[in-house]
Amino acid sequence: MGTDHHKGGVGGIMRGPEQRPAVEARRLSFAFGKRAVLRDLAISVQPGTVFGMLGANGSGKTTLVRLFAGLLKPDSGDVRILGNAPGPGLSDRIGYMPQFNALYGSLTVRENVDFFARMYGVGDRLARAAAIDSALELVDLADRGRDRITSLSGGMVQRVSLAIALVHAPPVLLLDEPTVGLDPELRATFWGHFGRMTAEGTTILISSHTMDDAAHCDRLGFLRDGRFIAEGTPDELRATTGAASASLEDAFLYLVRTGASS
Amino acid sequence: MTFDRTVSIATRVMREIVRDRRSLALIFLAPLLVMALVGFSFSEKQDTLDRVAPALISVFTLLFTFVLTGISFLRERSQGTLERLYVTPVGRGDVLIGYLLGFLIFAALQSLLILLFTVFVVDVNYQGDVRQMFVVLIVLTVFGVNLGIFASTFARNEFQVVQFIPLLIAPQIFLSGVLMPVEELPSYFQNPAEILPLTHAVRALRDIMLRGESLGDVVSELGVLAAYAVGLLAVAATTVRRT
Repeated sequence: MGTDHHKGGVGGIMRGPEQRPAVEARRLSFAFGKRAVLRDLAISVQPGTVFGMLGANGSGKTTLVRLFAGLLKPDSGDVRILGNAPGPGLSDRIGYMPQFNALYGSLTVRENVDFFARMYGVGDRLARAAAIDSALELVDLADRGRDRITSLSGGMVQRVSLAIALVHAPPVLLLDEPTVGLDPELRATFWGHFGRMTAEGTTILISSHTMDDAAHCDRLGFLRDGRFIAEGTPDELRATTGAASASLEDAFLYLVRTGASS
Repeated sequence: MTFDRTVSIATRVMREIVRDRRSLALIFLAPLLVMALVGFSFSEKQDTLDRVAPALISVFTLLFTFVLTGISFLRERSQGTLERLYVTPVGRGDVLIGYLLGFLIFAALQSLLILLFTVFVVDVNYQGDVRQMFVVLIVLTVFGVNLGIFASTFARNEFQVVQFIPLLIAPQIFLSGVLMPVEELPSYFQNPAEILPLTHAVRALRDIMLRGESLGDVVSELGVLAAYAVGLLAVAATTVRRT
């Protein structure tokens, strides 16, 4: 994505420990009926960084992403994005990629991206066309604009879904398992994009259950039973095991077994 | 901006329907087959057919419109795109009006087809102006579209939307003067029948088709129907956020 229409990049976001978190939750609890999903959870993501939420299926990753997207309301606690509670006033500054690719199958790639660009209120016709071109180039689908979604492979559909999440150049991206089902090459491509975006100031909250994704994140949180059992940089988390050659997977398993927190 | 979004949603809804060739064919063929069946089954009882035609036209207009809209709107939710829309700045009103407009074109064409086929091919005897009959059906169609959207905000899947047919449509068929005039219903059903929207559509269409009355004569019936249509959309706006 070019910096020309990147709200996060040109906005002059300074890096530093004292700045306001772009994504933040405090004492956050949420339950589906009687089943508690998140318990007293806290998270703080600095602007221009990638925060990876890692956890097993059912650990609460998707619920947390949906709370930040404003699709769910917390039972208690506080959720903030760019200092505000998620809601209509904030929605054009958030890019959301749901876990399941929510697209219109009978429409073409370009029609899908164009539709959501219109919903996000992306500029006039020319500005919108430029934003769509830019988003499609970024996900390497510039030459597939006229193809219907139903004719694409799973990985391509996922890339369209990502293009929609970032067509309005939001300063905050909420990505729910964006790399599931991608081959290693595509996965690397996605992480290349994410790296460039954070360098331009975009903040990314990403959920995943693969340790391969985890290594790319600036900070990680291991989510288990509705709260983070550990949080830190990949190196910090590896170090918790005490073994020099420990992988993130080792660290995760170690922390789960010991119930320790860093 | 809001107007742009509404138009974009309506355009997208229409584009999706047009792209789905098989559904498109069914939208227009199914009502014709049903009305042809009605015509054949009454072929030796022209008087009865003439008498029940306004009610049958109304019922099938409502039924087809409801099913078309209810299921399509539900698909927006089940495929996750409705949730995705909620994360954009689009308002509930934009979504609902956009859907209404998008479906209305097809539902109105469907209603027109039902009317024209019944009047000219099934060859029902009538007195009033066909254009005025169509106006009644348009109001009924808007009501049906909104009823479909409203019902689908309560349903989690297609199966549940279909369950709404016996719940929302069947009582209207029995009590709205379709099987027998409202006046001939048991006294305890008279007042409930007056509450049902379809009663007013059937009465308006019957007055025009059988008695040769004009829209001016049935304006109160149309008013009730229109009030229901607007009311339903307003209520749907409060229930549509259910994901």
